[in-house]
Amino acid sequence: MTSDEPLIRVKDLSFKYLGTTRRVLDSVNIEIFPKEIVLVAGHSGSGKSTLLRALNGLIPHHHAGDYEGSVVIDGLTVANTAMSELARKVGYIFQNPDNQIFMFTVERDIAFGLENLRVPPPEIRKSVDTIMDSLGIRHLALRPPHELSDGQKQRVAIAGVIAMRPKILILDEPTSLLDPFTASSMIGLVSDLRERFGMTILIVEHRLDLILRIVTRMIILDRGRVVFNDAPRAILSEVDVGRYGVTEPAIVRLAKLMGLGDNNIPIDPGSMAHRLELASS
Amino acid sequence: MGEDSTTAEHEVKSSASTTIFSTFGKKDTKEIEIVKFDSVDYSHPSGVAALVNVSLSITRGEFVAVLGTNGAGKSTLVRHINGLLKPTHGTVSVFGESTRERTSAFLSRGVGMVFQNANNQLFAQTVRQELEFALKNFGFDRQTIQDRVEWALNTFSLKEYVDKPPMELSGGEKKRLCIALVLAWDPEILILDEPTVGQDYEQKALLGQIIMKLLGEGKTVMVVTHDVEFIWPLQPRVILMSQGRIIADGSSQEILGNPAVLSKGDVLPPQLVELSRLLGWKNYYPKDVFEAESRIIEQRYNIRVPDRKET
Amino acid sequence: MQWIASGFLFSRGQTVVHRLDPRVRLALAIALFVVSLASHSIVELIGIIALILALVSVAKILRRFSRSMVFTAAITLIAFVIYYFVSSPLNALTFALRLLAVIASTSVFFLTTTPDELEHMMRWMKIPSDFVMIFVIAVRFVPVILLDSIQIMDAQRSRGLELDKGNFIQRIRNTIPVLVPLIAASLNRSLDLAEAMDSRAYGAYPRPTSLYIMKLSLSDWLVFSLIVIGTAFGLYIALFVHLL
Repeated sequence: MTSDEPLIRVKDLSFKYLGTTRRVLDSVNIEIFPKEIVLVAGHSGSGKSTLLRALNGLIPHHHAGDYEGSVVIDGLTVANTAMSELARKVGYIFQNPDNQIFMFTVERDIAFGLENLRVPPPEIRKSVDTIMDSLGIRHLALRPPHELSDGQKQRVAIAGVIAMRPKILILDEPTSLLDPFTASSMIGLVSDLRERFGMTILIVEHRLDLILRIVTRMIILDRGRVVFNDAPRAILSEVDVGRYGVTEPAIVRLAKLMGLGDNNIPIDPGSMAHRLELASS
Repeated sequence: MGEDSTTAEHEVKSSASTTIFSTFGKKDTKEIEIVKFDSVDYSHPSGVAALVNVSLSITRGEFVAVLGTNGAGKSTLVRHINGLLKPTHGTVSVFGESTRERTSAFLSRGVGMVFQNANNQLFAQTVRQELEFALKNFGFDRQTIQDRVEWALNTFSLKEYVDKPPMELSGGEKKRLCIALVLAWDPEILILDEPTVGQDYEQKALLGQIIMKLLGEGKTVMVVTHDVEFIWPLQPRVILMSQGRIIADGSSQEILGNPAVLSKGDVLPPQLVELSRLLGWKNYYPKDVFEAESRIIEQRYNIRVPDRKET
Repeated sequence: MQWIASGFLFSRGQTVVHRLDPRVRLALAIALFVVSLASHSIVELIGIIALILALVSVAKILRRFSRSMVFTAAITLIAFVIYYFVSSPLNALTFALRLLAVIASTSVFFLTTTPDELEHMMRWMKIPSDFVMIFVIAVRFVPVILLDSIQIMDAQRSRGLELDKGNFIQRIRNTIPVLVPLIAASLNRSLDLAEAMDSRAYGAYPRPTSLYIMKLSLSDWLVFSLIVIGTAFGLYIALFVHLL
């Protein structure tokens, strides 16, 4: 499943935005392998968004500052590669669905990236149609974005990004504006993308309860440093993640309270009930 | 309507604001109906119906959570309480008076609303001015304004930013500022529209504390939210909405503990409720992990526990 | 709350006029514009206006057209009155008709052309990508900004700001708590958009390709020929034939 060459290698990465004195990222070292689903968590202000931006080139190309260390994505050194090149490898979904849809109609916006890359129009047409079908938004093709719900806009944003067939998909707080129902289906969609297209996924989220079931690794940042980088269960069983701004699911809190916090810590009611039944028999 | 309130308990802020609401200050009167919806319909100017035949009654001091999916009508509902929207049919009464003839600026003196998007209202050059804005609009006198601003700065740990532009604050700090500026004018009713969106664990904990404190002071608090995990331990009264209608109205135990009802509103139950049902518990669902632990231990050791009624 | 923005600029008609290639429609508008400007003949100008009205009917945009011309009609009336006293009644009438015709011709074009088509034409005219994007984004976000402004007004009302009362000076003062957050939100939005655009390879090449391709069909060429003939004829009358 996972090969032994990391797809993303972050080495001693430090960054300070131009005109500030505080390092937002401090000697960050991370390796991410293909097809992982990595959750990046931490306080507001811990450097999560900055780290994500360092992975698709917004840092240092779009945001100037003091940049130390290196980020290598699929063999490309981010600092030396143009953003347009990196866009083919890394797709970035931003938090606000409105502020990443530019065009007058849904299908034109999905085509945006491909147009920029000078893909021939017939191919663009095919890709756009295929992706709209995969995400179930074909019926929205000619709608203007302001007529869509937030959940739909989110899907359009994802469509526009995966149209460029990146290997890595970054999602910055994708569910914060959605209700749990829609958020659940969005998370299912993301998991599906990883299965179908073999993508590697990085997500920033505060709330774990919906997302924990698909996450393969958790990285917690605190004031720009990586404090934890491990399988989610391993971290949850050892650490009170609330201290780092992360909202533990109630079940996890209960499990720890009852001394069930080990490497097999239940993360949802189903597994908790199962565990309790085992314990009582 | 009534003139000056005679019971001296409730602090008189300024002459501009005492004569407004007749039930102000009457802390000794129980069960005052502070908000009433009477067969309310609301349709957007485009014709789309957003509220259909909504009737409800909220008494002073209640804690109410309004749940439902996006588009169910939650925000539309609460915007009728501070007069931002007026019903197409039916009447909304706040403090015993219909909202129809009153501007929302007027009603906001008694009904404070904290909006989801903190950025869409900050405009002053300093945090101090931002806090003073509403107080000035409501006609408080200079001394009271100063006192209330000091109170807000201290209570919400904003003192270090007092002379900084609000735009320079971080997201979490802006949200704190928005709550502070509403509580500064001490409204009787506080409405929070999606207060937990984008908030991390500590910010949410602080929010919970603020809500409990306000309830302890006798204020009426309404929360519009998706975050069932956040409100479940607080055990508010729950109003569940779907497609403009109220489809359920009852206690947290009754509503959030009833998956059939929740699924009609497309709402997922809290994890502790799901767990309870899997373990076969029926009459009372533990509101936090400590209660859950006790219950599990009791069950495991087969201790007979009398059927718990909701507290 | 989407009712406000629905129908705003995005009505795609299916009439003959709408289905013409936008460049042909542009040629038509330019033709009408130029001939109107050149003409001194009341008869000819009335003819042009009649032609425009005919086009408007065929395109089924009569109501929107009249609404868009209200302001122009007022200005025209004022101009007519001024000219009447400054010059002769005949000149006044000619001037008024010319003004109407010129503006009506551009109005027809914009009312039958979607922003999408405008964008394609701008690219076809080799206008640099950055300027085209400025136009696209500005238009795309008009409904969003409208909605934002309503939300902001609501938020400030909830802080005791009486937006619907007060004398002139008060009203002007009251715009500050609404405009400042609106502008701040727009600025933040533009920062976000810039990031998103870069993240989708904007600027990789100076001349991107396009999902839609504009192709001139036979009917387009026919109409274009008619326009050319009509323009020649109109200009001939305007410049060389003395007509009232």
